[in-house]
Amino acid sequence: MTKTHQRKRLPAHRNPIQALLGLLLAWTVACPGLLVAAERTLTVTMRLDESEWRVMRAEILPRFEKECQCTVVPRDVPPEQLAQLLQAMARAGRMEIDVFAQDNMRLLELVSIGVVQDLSAYESRIAPQVSKVLLETGRIQGRLYFFPYRPNVQIAYYNAQRFERYGLSPPGTWEELLHVARVFKEKEGVGRVLFQAWGGAPTVTQVYEWITSAGGDPLVLTHPGTVKTFRFLQELWPYLSPDSRQAKWDTTNQFLAQESAYLAQNWPFGVRLLIQEYGKTAIKTYSGWAGPARKAHVIGGEVLGIPVGTPNVPLALDFLRFMQSKGIQELLTVRLGWPSLRTDAHGRVEAWMRPYFKAVTEALTHGIVRKNLPYWPEYEKLVNEAFVRTVVRGEAVEGTLHALQARLERVQGRY
Amino acid sequence: MPFRLGWRGFRGAIDVLFLAPLTLYILGLTLWPVLSTMALSFQDRRSGSFPTLANYQAVVEHFEFWDALYNTLFISVVGLSLELCLGLVMALCLSVPFRGRGVARALMLIPLGVPTIVSAANMRYIFGTVGYLNETLHQLGLLEIPIDWTSGGARTLMAVVAADLWKVTPLVMLILLAGLESIPGELYEAAVTDGAGAWQRFRYVTLPLLKPAITAALIIRGIDAFRIFALPLTLVGRSTPVLSTYTYFEYVDYQNPYTSAASATILLVMILATTIAYLQIAGTEEVIS
Repeated sequence: MTKTHQRKRLPAHRNPIQALLGLLLAWTVACPGLLVAAERTLTVTMRLDESEWRVMRAEILPRFEKECQCTVVPRDVPPEQLAQLLQAMARAGRMEIDVFAQDNMRLLELVSIGVVQDLSAYESRIAPQVSKVLLETGRIQGRLYFFPYRPNVQIAYYNAQRFERYGLSPPGTWEELLHVARVFKEKEGVGRVLFQAWGGAPTVTQVYEWITSAGGDPLVLTHPGTVKTFRFLQELWPYLSPDSRQAKWDTTNQFLAQESAYLAQNWPFGVRLLIQEYGKTAIKTYSGWAGPARKAHVIGGEVLGIPVGTPNVPLALDFLRFMQSKGIQELLTVRLGWPSLRTDAHGRVEAWMRPYFKAVTEALTHGIVRKNLPYWPEYEKLVNEAFVRTVVRGEAVEGTLHALQARLERVQGRY
Repeated sequence: MPFRLGWRGFRGAIDVLFLAPLTLYILGLTLWPVLSTMALSFQDRRSGSFPTLANYQAVVEHFEFWDALYNTLFISVVGLSLELCLGLVMALCLSVPFRGRGVARALMLIPLGVPTIVSAANMRYIFGTVGYLNETLHQLGLLEIPIDWTSGGARTLMAVVAADLWKVTPLVMLILLAGLESIPGELYEAAVTDGAGAWQRFRYVTLPLLKPAITAALIIRGIDAFRIFALPLTLVGRSTPVLSTYTYFEYVDYQNPYTSAASATILLVMILATTIAYLQIAGTEEVIS
């Protein structure tokens, strides 16, 4: 008798496949809730660097999965592509994203194309310990569309060894900044202070911050503080690093790491990259310099939103609450050095990260919330033009800014 | 009377059937998006009214557009001229039999296989202020202060041309090499018999017979040169915009698909106009023959 014959003649209860199916059926009948819970899936999009994703995937998301008995599918989506992606999914009637994290400087486009849910009705769910200033970053035209989860500010990075070599201290004012830039240029023949002059959002964010610190109104290009800022930038430009025209948020880290720049403003994500990955321990940070009127740091960071059309709204709301919870905010501080949005979350950051975290915390105390303007892209374009024409090409500041102000007013008049 | 499909009718139906997928593919994924983009460029952003020239007005009023236009033309004309000269020299060298010619040909074609974005990233290591080029010049004692190759101006344009040259000259060489190998050897023998020297053989035999290949190379590379995108975007960023990167920044940074469509349409018209003009001057038979 062959083995095949032997198998065919096994009694049903001894056939392993049938036994497994029977077990599965019994489990399904006994625990329907568990089976349903296991099918709950939440798709979350974020834009994080590799080290941040590691913590998010290994420590944060599993906690939520355990707490809510669901599966979280994380996806990396660049902020500039999110609006198009959501719009395409909404048009197709197939929303595959349940929660998204988005740069708080790119929120208006999501609201204007109608792909984000109004969360005003859920505002009461936000813990009172969440900073009210940060809450405002998610409010547009009186409606709350986004919940904050990660505040951020730009800090100043400097190469302590190079500063020491020339007997310099990190600048605390514009005058000192100009002095430092001049000394580097004189000593090395090439500028070593970096300004993010790539154009677009990196440039406009810095210009906005500098105008505010000069006492100007960034939305009025002919304001004396605005004119003062562009004049100062024009004076500073010849002493800046030639890499400034290539400098944006990611390349700034590269220039600091290559030591083609010794001083630059950037978001704190560079700390982990420069110190831990590149081993550039000579690079230190501090909150930055003050302008003639004050110290100002644009509050950046990310907020969470729920797209229109997702079938998982209750679970998505749970995720928003979870990300704002004290435990998670503390964990994000400890593991990633992110400042907390809660007043009661005091995670202790790793020892090596403490000086950098201190710089971020200090800068946050001078945080300013950038207005969510419906005409922001057009405003950004005009400021970019003002920068290139006056600072890079050296055109007369007043005349250029007056002409651009007229165009800005025409834009404002349309809204 | 029942309809009977004759042999010719049957052949016709089969032809249509076989052509349909490709036709639908071209119409659906090429022509339709192009026409949609053109339509978008004539649509008002706020009111949705059609047709309007407001987007074109906004584009031509923007100072960076003219920079982008100039840079595109510069890179196309200078780059194409250098590619053609260098490609011809390389093709002439590789058309002569010598030991290791096969290996040399294969090596010359390597840049074609490198993705543009990879070659652009590598070029950044060369042309950066602390890049290999500055370091080499410094080691040779030719440079004290690093040169800023990528922050704008003529130097940056030449850096883009040089980087593009490395990537695409092998393609020009390949087309010209094919052209050279199609020239019958008897013509050269006859020219030698008539007492023609090397220069005369090149001037009166090679060049005229190579004209169709040169035309094909110019059109293929000319269209490509106008569309150059990944290389300038990665190597020089916004400091030196070209029309395609300008179009990209309008769409991504300024979130304006309408002005982006307008500048894309301008680029398309430029490519079409240049191709038609060249065919008029050079003659279509040169490409066909």
